Order: sequence, then C-alpha cells, then structure tokens
Amino acid sequence: MTHHKADLLQGTLDLLILKSLQNEPMHGFGIAVRIGQMSKDMLTVEQGSLYPALYRLEDQGWIKAEWGISDNNRKAKFYTLTAAGRKQLTTEEQSWAKLSTAINLVLGNA
Amino acid sequence: MRLLRKLRLLFRKDHLDAEMAEEMQLHVDMQAARNRRSGMAAAEACFAAQREFGNIASIQQKAREQRGGVWLEHLQRDLRHGWRMIGKHPGLSAVIILSLGIGIGANTVIFSWLRGLVFRPLPGVPHATEVLLVEPRLESGSYPGASWLEYRDLQARLPAFESLLAYRSTPLNYGAPDREERAYGQFVSGNFFSALGMQPALGRLLRPDETDRAGGPAVVVISHDFWLARFGGSPDTLGKEILVNERRCTIVGVAPQGFRGMIVGLTFDLFLPATMVPELLRGSKELEQRENRGYSLAGRLRPGATSAGAGGQLDTALAALATEFPVSNGGVKGEVLAFWRAPRGAGRLLLGGLAVLQGFMLLVLAVVCANAANLLLARASARRREIGVRLALGARPGQILRQFLVESLLLGGLAAIVGTLLAWWGNEALRAVPLPGALPFKFDTRLEWAGLAFSLLLGPGCAFVFGLVPAVKSARTDAQLALRVARSSHGRSGLPRVLVATEVALALLVLMGAALMMRSFLETRTADPGFKAPGVLLGSYDLSGVGYDRAVGLSLTDDLLHRLTATPGVESAAIASWVPLDFHAMPSTTFTINGRTRSDGGQDRALGYSVTPGYFTVMGLPLVAGRDFTDLKDTAQPPQAVVNEEFVRRFLAGSPALGHQLATGGGNFEIVGVVRNSLYETFGEPLKPIVYFSYRERFRSSGELHVRWRNSEPGLAPDLRRLVREANPAITLHDIRTLTEHVDKNLFFRRIPARMFAVLGPLILFLAAVGIYAVVACAVAQRTTEIGVRLALGASSQRVVREIVRETLRVVWFGLAPAWFVAFVVMLHVRGGILNAPILLGVPLLLVAVAALAAWLPARRAAKVDPMVALRAE
Repeated sequence: MTHHKADLLQGTLDLLILKSLQNEPMHGFGIAVRIGQMSKDMLTVEQGSLYPALYRLEDQGWIKAEWGISDNNRKAKFYTLTAAGRKQLTTEEQSWAKLSTAINLVLGNA
Repeated sequence: MRLLRKLRLLFRKDHLDAEMAEEMQLHVDMQAARNRRSGMAAAEACFAAQREFGNIASIQQKAREQRGGVWLEHLQRDLRHGWRMIGKHPGLSAVIILSLGIGIGANTVIFSWLRGLVFRPLPGVPHATEVLLVEPRLESGSYPGASWLEYRDLQARLPAFESLLAYRSTPLNYGAPDREERAYGQFVSGNFFSALGMQPALGRLLRPDETDRAGGPAVVVISHDFWLARFGGSPDTLGKEILVNERRCTIVGVAPQGFRGMIVGLTFDLFLPATMVPELLRGSKELEQRENRGYSLAGRLRPGATSAGAGGQLDTALAALATEFPVSNGGVKGEVLAFWRAPRGAGRLLLGGLAVLQGFMLLVLAVVCANAANLLLARASARRREIGVRLALGARPGQILRQFLVESLLLGGLAAIVGTLLAWWGNEALRAVPLPGALPFKFDTRLEWAGLAFSLLLGPGCAFVFGLVPAVKSARTDAQLALRVARSSHGRSGLPRVLVATEVALALLVLMGAALMMRSFLETRTADPGFKAPGVLLGSYDLSGVGYDRAVGLSLTDDLLHRLTATPGVESAAIASWVPLDFHAMPSTTFTINGRTRSDGGQDRALGYSVTPGYFTVMGLPLVAGRDFTDLKDTAQPPQAVVNEEFVRRFLAGSPALGHQLATGGGNFEIVGVVRNSLYETFGEPLKPIVYFSYRERFRSSGELHVRWRNSEPGLAPDLRRLVREANPAITLHDIRTLTEHVDKNLFFRRIPARMFAVLGPLILFLAAVGIYAVVACAVAQRTTEIGVRLALGASSQRVVREIVRETLRVVWFGLAPAWFVAFVVMLHVRGGILNAPILLGVPLLLVAVAALAAWLPARRAAKVDPMVALRAE
C-alpha cells in the first residue's frame, strides 16, 4: 500500500463511511470506490480498515446490512444508514467542522 | 435485548463467518473486474486485486472482533476449555468442588436459619419484621412483662403504635376431665390478630371488642396444625365446643397456616380472649392486679413514627405510671425491642450461637479457599509449558488471565450447586430430627431464595478469591522461560508458602475456637446446678379449673404429699410453683426488710418461689442456717420465708438472717432458714437472690410435683400417675419427666451449636490436613530434579527427607505462631484469664503433626526415586 495520499485521521473513517451511505445503500467495494471518488482520489480506504469498521458500525446500530443483488447480478451485502446512523452522521459532521476550523485557526489559514 | 441479539449471533457464528468470506471475495472480484476494465490481463487483474486487498484471514479476524458479542464467543471458548480441564484432572477438581461444596452448604444452612430467626420470626404473620415488642424492664435488667392494667394504660399512652396488642402464654387442660391433655395457649387482647394483620384460614379471628370487659362469650381460635390434627381440617369445626380447663369454649376460627403463637421455638394451639382468664384460671385476679405481670406487648409503628420516638413515649408513660402506682411500677423502665430480640423464647439464645457458628464456618470456607488456591497454583505451574506455547503463538496475558478465572468460576459454580443440594438435604435432615420434651418446639427453617442466592453467590465469590492468585501468576508467565524450563523453578516465588502459612493459621484459629466451644459446653453439662437432679421425677398439675378454696386445697395437697412419702420407693416428695431452669423467666417479688425502705426510693427485688415443706430435701439443697418450713396444717406459726445465701449477702450484708422480717405483697414473713445458692433461670447466670414462700401462706392451685425416688433414676412415670390418682382422683398429672430431662431441655438450644461444632471440628481438621498435604506434596514433587541431583551428588535419602520436612515445618511455623498468639490473647480476654492448656498446646501440636506427615510421605517417595530417573524427568 502506498501512502503518498493523505493519511486518514483516527476516527474519521467512520464519518466517511456514514457520509458515503447518506444517499443510497451500498456494498463494501462501492463504499471504498465512492470515498475515492468523493475525495478526488486523495483518500484511499484500506480494506483492512474498511471491513472491521463496517462490522463495528453495524454492531453500534448506525448501519444495517442486507443481502441484495449488485449491478452485475451478483449477490452482495448492502449497507444502509439507520435513523441512529443519520443522527450520528450529523453529530460527527458538526464536530469535524469545529475541529477543522480550530486547526485552521491554529495554522493561521483562516 | 442487545445481549439477546449477541447470543443469537453466537449461535449463528459459522453462518456469519461464511457471509463475511463471501462479502470479501466479492470485493476482490469487483476490484479484479475493475482492473480488467482498465486494461490488465485477466490473471494479472485478479492477482493485483488480491494484493491490494491484503491478508484476507487477518482482515476477517479483525472484522470478527469488531462484530458484536465477540466476548461471548471467547467466554464460550473458555468455558469449553475449562470444562475439558476439569475432566482432565478429575481428582483435583473433585477435591475442590466437594470441599468447597461442603463449606458452602454448611454456611447456607446456618445462614438460612439465622435469616429465618431475624426476618421470619413469626410464620403466618405478614411483615413480621415490623412487629416491635414493648417490654417493661426492671433495675436488675430482667423483663417481667406487663400487667393487664398496664397494657390498657400503655395502649392509650403510646400513640406511636398503630395498635398495641398483648398476649400471655399459659398451659391449659384440653378435653374431658378424665382424659385431659395438656395444650398450650395464649391469652390475647382482642386486637391481637387484627393488629398483626392476619387473615383466618377458616371462620373469623378475635374482634377487638371481645376483650373490652370480663365475661364476654367463651370463644377460641385454634391453630392450623391443631385444626388438622384434631378435626382433620374439616370446615364443620366452626361452632364446635371444646373443653378448655373444663369450660366450654366455642371454636370461632382457625389461625392462618404456620402461625404458632408469639414465642419463637414454641407452639401454641389455642388463642383465647384475655378476658376469659378469671373464668378459665378460676379465681385469677390478674386482670385487676398491677403486680401481676406476665403479658407481652407488641405492635406495629404508625406510618412516620420511629422506634426511638416510641421509646421516648414509653419512657414518659412508665415514669408517669411509676408515680401513680409506686408499689407495682416503682423503678420499672421500658424498652422497645425488635421482635428477634425477644427476651422470652429460644430466639436470642439460638441467634447468638448461630452467629458464632456462621463466623466459624466462614473461616472454614476461607481455609477451603486457601486449599483450592494452593492446588490450582500447583497445577498452574505444571501447565507452564502450555501457557508458554500459547503466549508464544500470540495470546495476550489478559486472555490467559480470563481463561484461568473462567476455569475457577466454573469450579465455583459447580461447588455452589453441590453446596445448595447439600444445604437442601441438610435442612430437611435437621428438620426431621425429633426435638425433646413435652413443650412442642418447632422451627421454621426453610431454605428460601435468600439462602439459595447466598449459596449461589458464595460459589463464584470463593472462586474469584482462590482463582485470582493462580490466574495472575499464570498470566505473568515469561513465555521464553516457560518453554525452556518446563517446571516452575520450584517456588522461588514465596506464594505457595504464604498460602500454606495462611491456611495453617486459619485452621488453628478455627480448631481452637471449636475446641473451646466444645469445652465450655461440656463444662456447662458438668456444672453443678446447686441441686441434685438425678432421682427426681416431675409432674405438673393444675387444679385452678376445679375451684377448691384455700383450706380444701391445702388439706388435699398435704394429704397427697403424705401418701406419696409413705409409698415404698419414694424417698421424699414436695410441690413447688416452678421448676428451676425452665424456659420462661421466673416471677420476681418486691419486698422490704424490717420495715426499712431504700434511700433511693427503689424497691428490693428477688425471685419468688412457692414450695411445700420438704422441697429442699427433695432438691438436695442443704440448709446452711435455720430450718425448713413448718407443716402445711400448722396454724400456730407466723408466716415464714426461706432465702438463699446470695439474698443474705446482698440485702443483709451477710449478717445472720434468721429472725428478720420480710414484708411483701401485703404480708409479713419471718426468715426461718437459709439455703445454698443454686441455678434458677439458666446456666451461666450470675448468682441471684431468691425468697421461698410456703404453700401454707401462698397456696396455689397449680404446681409441679417433685418426687425423689430411692433408687436413683426412676423410670416409673405411669406409677407416679397412678399413685397420684389413687391419692386424689381429681388430680391429673401432665408432662411427667425426670428433673435431669428437664435440665437437659434447658441445655438443648446451647447444644445445637455445640453439636454442630462436634461434627465440624473433625471436618475442619480433615480439610486442613488435606490442604496441607496437597500443597506440600505438590511442592515436593516439583523438586524431584533437585532431589535427584542431590542424591546423585551423594546426599543420603534420609538427610534429604529430613530437610524437606524441616523446611515445611518452618513455613507452618510462620503461620502458627501469630495465629496462636491471637488465640492466646482472645482466650485471656474472653475467658477471664482462665487458660486451657490442653487446647492451647494440643491443637497446634496436632496441626504440626499433620503437617509433618504431609511433608514426610511425599518426601520419602521422592527420595526413593532413582536419581537417573529423576534427572531424566526434566
């Protein structure tokens, strides 16, 4: 794995996953691709982190998994944002906004 | 709900794992397809995708740990592993489970008895713990009970109580005159049942207005047991008439099941309105006499009232009564007591014994825990290689710790089950033990949820105690070292030694305590009560229902005694109002000597007995001065009294007592004799002053016949009954027993704990011996290599054995010495400086002997091993 792209800050992976599921259910591969697209390929999600994170979020009740059929007609596990997950997403977005503002202030980029 | 979901996950584990694999495979496939689209060759695309994904197995493991309920999976695995370990070491596991189970069982039985006595003192009464007793107390500290009039006064003056009730226990005659049986009853206030909140099993209970004035309808409420035994539980029982003291009483209701009256340990069957007393105890004026105490008062507090507040009201009320009625109430204070502290009944006595016993059994449990810890520690060091391998393969110390604890908890859980079964069985067995005497004892000793919870908590609790040390030690194993050296470097850590020392110390304390208990019980048994019990037969009679006047009664009594004394085989005979060492407190009497009043306004008080001439001869109580009472028919002599030595010491400053005048209860008595002190109320009581009156002046229509047989112990109860009936057909004797039996009954409640100690003493010694043996044997076994080396280098086997034994004894000594010192100090303190050499020296010697044997046997075995074998074993 190359790490020339920006490293993911601890804990932000959850936020990214929740965000990518905001509009539609998706399978694991889809989530990885979507995060790449949304960040204009600046962020890459490692599978080694993605799947444990998905299982953790599911255990916390923020997303739920269902088996469905993928675009190319294969059985795939789709993840959907739950109501609790939506609330969590809002909270995390807000705290992220605060954090980035604060860091920008410190760096004098505001 | 969450837990439930996790449990479901646990059972779908394989399915979930398959899904996970499929999901990840899909990911790889999709990546590969994408790679192909961007122009890679098929094989290359697949390979790249796999490379990019990474180590699937490792990712799966990481994902699994994020999945809910993973700790449950681990627990399940640890439990399975623990179960296997128990199966692999059946002997060791059995020793731990059984010894712990016995300890838990014994503790649970005692706990449930204690709980029953404190929290369920009155079966059949709802919320019995809320019932408080109101007890007048004399300056001497004894509780004489209240008089009926006092009860009426207090009822009005203690607003803290919702409804104050009164009761008094009495023996009664039940049935037709020629076939009378003794029954026990309580005279109660009308609000008795309603204030206790009881519901009838049949019919109705007494109404508050039924004791408003004397001479109400003759009604009786019978106990549930009595109803079943006498009337077969038939509903027709209502309205039936029964003869009580030869008076017809109508059964109006049956008390709720389990209710046996208000005295712990005793059973009462008949509950009568107190206003029937004058009719049933012919001529009794107790309802009008303030001196006539004997009623117990009880009640529940009003909402918001406190026990302290009630106590304050009682103090005020009794102070007022003391000014109003100085004769009967001078110096009478009062207390509000929780029911389990009742001065009457066996509760207090039993409670004390059981509390001590519980303390001891918890110590025993500690010994057992030390045992188990030792054994597990020994096994843990034998498992070092296994642990080393697991650590080397990546197990975290926390996982090892958890696994060991789970194993211990499993053992503890099994022990708790064994203990519960034992407790249940033991309880049933104890309930089936017949209790002695004519007084029907009965205890409610059910095992309840609290007992079960106690037992089931003790198991895991103990497991944690004994499992923690081996678990922590194993978790801290150095994997490298463990793999290189299979066996623990034989206890360079001092832990097993500390445990052995602790265990020996605990065992010493428990054994010495048990020995002391046994000893003091035996001392009580052989203690001289002051009177000579062997050879005396007792029988009680009650003619109060017949209604003789004093003159007729006296002449009948005199005639009966003369006839009995003339009978061959009878040495002497007498009658007394009471028998010493009975369960209930003796009545006491106030008096003045030579017209002197006390400067502090208080009243002198002593126990008061009524006896016939010849009583001291029958009881074997020697007169130290003066003479016995004059003949019953003698009308010339002035009223007489006999006192004991303690009376003379306390009230006459030891000066010659004869000729002094005693004024009490409106009469003047001349002291004509002094007898030796004896026991009156209980074993171990302080010396008490007593005044004996003669039946001549203080005639009673009831009493206890005392007959001394010529040939030591009489076995002729029917003969006595026949003799008495021949002398006077009106008299039916009840409750015929020897004085020895009677005295033993007093000892009965002391004996329950003492017997338990007799059984537990050897058990404790056995557990301690097993523990010491197991630990020492394990320690020696681990030193096989060292022994082999030493033997190979030329040490004699004798010397090796000697050294091992000596080393073990040194460890034992470290435990014994401080514990012995503690025991020594406690003994000095508790027993007033009287030391018991056999116990103080014998018990430690016994333990040392056990320890020496426990070290010697395995040491000898180790020393017999061929050095080459021992060395190769490594």
